[in-house]
Amino acid sequence: MSISWDREAAAHLARRAGFGATPAELDAYVGIGLDATVDQFVHYESIDNSALEADLQNLTSFVPPATSPVYDLSRIDGVRKWFLHRMTFTKRPLEEKMTYLWNLWWTSGISKVQGVTLMLNQNKTMRQYALGKFDDIVLAVSQDPAMLVWLDNYTSRVGRPNENYARELMELFTLGVDNYTQTDVTEVARALTGWTVQGYTGADNYNGAKFLDNAQAHDNGTKRILGQTGNWNGRDAIRIILEASDSQGSVSGRFVARKLWTFFAYHDPPEWVIDELTGVYASSGRSIRDIMDHLFRMPEFYEPHARKVLVRSPVEYAVAALRQLEARTDMSVPVGDLIAMGQPLFDPLDAKGPEGDMAWINTGTVFARASTTNKFVTNRGTTGTRIDLSQLLAGKTLTTANDVVNALIDRFGLSDIPPQTRAVWAKFVDSKSDGSRGYWQNTSAQTDVKVRGLIHLMLTSSDYHLC
Amino acid sequence: MPMDRREFLFRGIGVATVSAMVPRFAVAGARFFEESLAPGAGGRVLVVVELAGGNDGLNTIVPYTDPLYSATFRKTIGVPADSVLDLDGKLGMNPVMSGLKSLWDAGRLAVVEGVSYPNPNLSHFTSRDIWHTADPALAQRRGWLGRWADATLAGNGNPLSGCAVSQSLPRTLLADKVVFPSFTNLAAYAYATDGSNASDAANQINGFVAQNSIEHEIATRNELIEDVARDAASSSATLRQVTSNYAPKAVYPNNSLANALKLCAEIIVGNLGTQILYVTYGGFDNHSTQKAAHDNLLKAVSDSIKAFFDDLDGQGKSSGVLLMTWSEFGRRVQENSSLGTDHGTAGVHFVAGNAAIRGIYGPAPNLSSLDSNGNLKWQTDFRSYYGTVLRDWLKTDSAAILGPGYPNLGFVNASSV
Repeated sequence: MSISWDREAAAHLARRAGFGATPAELDAYVGIGLDATVDQFVHYESIDNSALEADLQNLTSFVPPATSPVYDLSRIDGVRKWFLHRMTFTKRPLEEKMTYLWNLWWTSGISKVQGVTLMLNQNKTMRQYALGKFDDIVLAVSQDPAMLVWLDNYTSRVGRPNENYARELMELFTLGVDNYTQTDVTEVARALTGWTVQGYTGADNYNGAKFLDNAQAHDNGTKRILGQTGNWNGRDAIRIILEASDSQGSVSGRFVARKLWTFFAYHDPPEWVIDELTGVYASSGRSIRDIMDHLFRMPEFYEPHARKVLVRSPVEYAVAALRQLEARTDMSVPVGDLIAMGQPLFDPLDAKGPEGDMAWINTGTVFARASTTNKFVTNRGTTGTRIDLSQLLAGKTLTTANDVVNALIDRFGLSDIPPQTRAVWAKFVDSKSDGSRGYWQNTSAQTDVKVRGLIHLMLTSSDYHLC
Repeated sequence: MPMDRREFLFRGIGVATVSAMVPRFAVAGARFFEESLAPGAGGRVLVVVELAGGNDGLNTIVPYTDPLYSATFRKTIGVPADSVLDLDGKLGMNPVMSGLKSLWDAGRLAVVEGVSYPNPNLSHFTSRDIWHTADPALAQRRGWLGRWADATLAGNGNPLSGCAVSQSLPRTLLADKVVFPSFTNLAAYAYATDGSNASDAANQINGFVAQNSIEHEIATRNELIEDVARDAASSSATLRQVTSNYAPKAVYPNNSLANALKLCAEIIVGNLGTQILYVTYGGFDNHSTQKAAHDNLLKAVSDSIKAFFDDLDGQGKSSGVLLMTWSEFGRRVQENSSLGTDHGTAGVHFVAGNAAIRGIYGPAPNLSSLDSNGNLKWQTDFRSYYGTVLRDWLKTDSAAILGPGYPNLGFVNASSV
């Protein structure tokens, strides 16, 4: 089986390994071929991202005469804007996509953590380890101050351990629900006693907490974890958990393989896919980068049944629209609308985080998404999120209503929509306010009415909710 | 029901708006309103309140006469015996729950104790799915009320037969043949159009409906999304025209549960034929420093439910409404070193309404006989809890939804409406 590398395949990879590509980016990917494109995504350290860092430096600084920065990192909304800005304007899409996945994988929430800096630092840690060894990620998150507070391990002491983190470490993060017992939960909780924070205080709004391994709070007794007995500490517990195997091989490997494939490719993967990725996990020393490098070159990833079958989360939806609109934005609209769209980023309802997929879509969120993209495309002002129609239409033939539709579908990855949908859009462009036909002429006034409305219809079509 | 309301519905929704926008509901919708506004089957509303995170039943309905509670298990975070609102000489409500206590005093509250299922699962997510689907084996994909809806609501044409006042659609309401809408804010519940070109709004809305009405030759994910979008358009058209005259007849507290219940009251008062309303209130996963946070949550639950029924009383609507609570599990009997409680098993739940028969159903928690993890042994199967509501309130063969063998608990007066 070989992979047919064309514009559609490149757009598919860009939707999954990033947040969607612009027409110019697609031109480039098609030109350099599959292997070089995957290299760019996966080995992103070679891509110069200094423009993004410089922009963010300015946007997070107090620049006179403004009295506050555009992204105020002392407030959680500022952190949300900062993160969405990175996703939208990065030259290293997979770095942000992985950071976003880790954010879903190991949620923590500001409502409980309270310290905005702790949430920001956790996000930076996830970016630092975005494609690292899984062991390093698990250790870093287990000692992350926001996580220690979020799942209560910071209060766990010898004698009466708090089980919250120990349970979710195995259930949600590494093994899956049926691969440990309640006794394992208790024993891992004992091993993790003493991993706490110091300096967690309201005096500085809970922003100064640092990891502390407090020997006095640690349970030095013998524990039996997943069948292994010893005086285990937190590092031992993580090692035992990640090394656990059953008749099908590495338990954590299969868990990680399934989650990665489900996030990047499609749901309910066949066993051979899990086996293949678990093999890479084992042979690479549990390297996430090696798994992703392999996954994006698998022919199965490019099969028709893998394309446009994942529902975009609200964050992915907003970021994709901003990227493909090549919008200017201060992120106020998308971040202000995240809760209405059902995704309170950095403030999840529980440790599992959002269920995702079709659970993102209900009647309320369909309207909320439409409201957000309506604001993107109808703002005629000079501040906030706005688009440049002349830029989007540059060089396009716009004689007929069909021309207008054709001028935009490639940009939004909608070239494969059914002919009926295409007809609905052409009819919209050519409809007068009383519903009769014969409206469209290529004037700036008509463009202002109909192109904005058409883009909004495209961004609220079922196809655009999928990636 | 006054005739003019029905005529209004016909004129305003059935013909002028919905039929123009959404062919699927045009005829069925009009017929539906005719039927549902008559007294009878459509007159009963079930309000489901999910207390997400695992509510601590022992600090909600307190076994205050049991010395193990105060002297052994809840030394620090326990509710003092002399503060509880006594129910039966052995169990008492947390003192912040004066609202629910007044419903109890008025004979409108049932307390169901010890509810769980065999081999209780201590994972939030697994246990929540079990409760949503009413299936400990997790073989059911649809929710328990989704299965009920498929059997009884499918094809009735009403886009508002049930809805979730929630940011997401709970799995309890996941059905195959019915899409339940979900929303938290009616003002924003519409397809947004270009405010600078109001004269083109109808074209934009028509385009949105049309692009979501494409016939697909094979079932796709697009089709699932388009079904939801169409239902959004039709339910929005209905809601926006009917509920504008609502004015609350009670003062609701300021919390998200109260806001959601107030919107439920608005929908009930709007006579939309809604039979199921679903509300989620979170924050009950109190692993640490539980006492103050949990008391605040219980007070919000109690005050909000009381205000909801006060409002319905004032609107003349309370006789047709039954409210039930659930939570995925109770908490560990022994408090932990963080002044909180870890995941447990059996919990306590409430049923409120004129049809609720006052009483405590199921035995009080037995703190002297715990399971190997230090959790309560469960006493009442949650399918009996659901089944009693299905049979005696929704007038359904509960065994067809839940399977046979779950005794009716008798807390609903089946002939009350």
